[in-house]
Amino acid sequence: MFEMFAYDFMQRAFLAGMIIAVLASVSGTFIVLRRYSMISETLAHSALVGVAVGLVAGFNPIWMAVIVSILSAWLIEYLRAYFSLYSDAVLAILLSGSLAIAVIIVSLGGAFNNSLFSYLFGSILSVSSADVITISIFGTLCLSVLLLFSKEFYFIAYDEEVAKTSGIKVKLLNFLLVSIVAVIIALSIRVVGSLLIGALMVIPTVSAMQYRQGFVRTLLISLAFALLSVASGMTLSFYFSLPSGATIVLSILVIFIISLVVNKR
Amino acid sequence: MKFTLPIFDVKNLYFRAGDQEILSNISLEIFGAEYIAIIGPNGGGKTTLIRVLLGLEKPTSGEARIFGKRIKDFKEWHKIGYVPQRAIHVDANFPATVEDVVNMGRTSQRKLFSRMSKEDNACVLDAMNKMDVYSLKDKMIGTLSGGQRQRVMIARALASKPEILILDEPNTGVDMVSQKRFYALLKQLNQEEKITIVFITHDIGVIADDIARLFTINQKAIICNNPKEALSCEEMSELYGIEAHLLHNHKHEH
Repeated sequence: MFEMFAYDFMQRAFLAGMIIAVLASVSGTFIVLRRYSMISETLAHSALVGVAVGLVAGFNPIWMAVIVSILSAWLIEYLRAYFSLYSDAVLAILLSGSLAIAVIIVSLGGAFNNSLFSYLFGSILSVSSADVITISIFGTLCLSVLLLFSKEFYFIAYDEEVAKTSGIKVKLLNFLLVSIVAVIIALSIRVVGSLLIGALMVIPTVSAMQYRQGFVRTLLISLAFALLSVASGMTLSFYFSLPSGATIVLSILVIFIISLVVNKR
Repeated sequence: MKFTLPIFDVKNLYFRAGDQEILSNISLEIFGAEYIAIIGPNGGGKTTLIRVLLGLEKPTSGEARIFGKRIKDFKEWHKIGYVPQRAIHVDANFPATVEDVVNMGRTSQRKLFSRMSKEDNACVLDAMNKMDVYSLKDKMIGTLSGGQRQRVMIARALASKPEILILDEPNTGVDMVSQKRFYALLKQLNQEEKITIVFITHDIGVIADDIARLFTINQKAIICNNPKEALSCEEMSELYGIEAHLLHNHKHEH
């Protein structure tokens, strides 16, 4: 079982995966409670534009992904606020739009190959030492901000207007939350892949909510589910040579189904 | 005569949505320790007025001040407890215990990173006891009855130690026994704690006897300092048509 840790690449992937499990489940809790689950899908596709630019132009794809997904998050909030468009429509438009742009960039640049495949579905082989450092630094920053404002994010998720009338800076914090989610998604695409990261953000929380516990316990259950599914997903990925994103999402789906059945009323 | 600063001071306030005038030339003052009911027909602008007072909507013209400050300069929002109309409709699966919800009332006064301080916990405990929900503190909010949820929402508002409570139709979907208990609790808050209470309803039949002043909002405001007289006055009849007569008769039966 532990022979997989004899490989350097696996140690790196595992470390990165654990950090991402923490980030995705904590930020995912607030996103799910705010009924904003789809933003993770859209931002993941926007991050792909960054990856495409990085692959073609020879920049670090993760850095480019961070930049593009933050810009996309801001664009979404701007469009929602100033053009009174439905938010789900805005998310759908940006999701397909980003994917189209990403595909055009990689096609023109002739980079449509295996390396793109790994960004779509995740790969334990692709995590470099530099990636682990990037993920650790940005991950610590994002987690600090999430914990720093967790009570505010929770209140806003519960009732945005009452939160506002109690003196919480709702607009600023919404903006901050989507920016953090954008960074977390961009960091995650190495391990989980851009087409699958949405699942790791949303499903652990939705599974945890089935147990009908208070806020802190729900957050902790969600965290445990995310860690468990990333660990088992990576193990499966190692032994069966499957894309890690797919095996992680499959693991979390199993947890979700068990949670549903166990808590059926 | 002693000069006291009103909590809310509204002067010549207009609110227009598109070409429809929702509030027109509203002027009113709300002072400390008052007990006020705002009534008016559905769509008459009661909720809009409250939303303007809370800074959730910008008036088209005119001015509203809170504690003497313009709304955008006002910072001490913890002095105001707001329980909106939809407050008792909670998503059944939202992961929150009663204590989680009441704790939210402390959010804006807590410092960054800090856990609940002794003072925070004391405020939450006090609010839960006042609204008689302490025994429910570990229950999930989604499993409570309408009446229990209503008390929890008010406990959350009380946890920030407000000087004024604004309740927007808090009785929608609450049974009669709970309503009576609720009025008794509000009366207690008003008389013992000197908390100003502003109570919005479209149902003039349920106005409690404890209310000191009555504002009627139907685009314009009519302010009556003696509610019992007001309910039989000509203006009220105009406003409500037959309903006011019904209420008038109803009052005589007792």
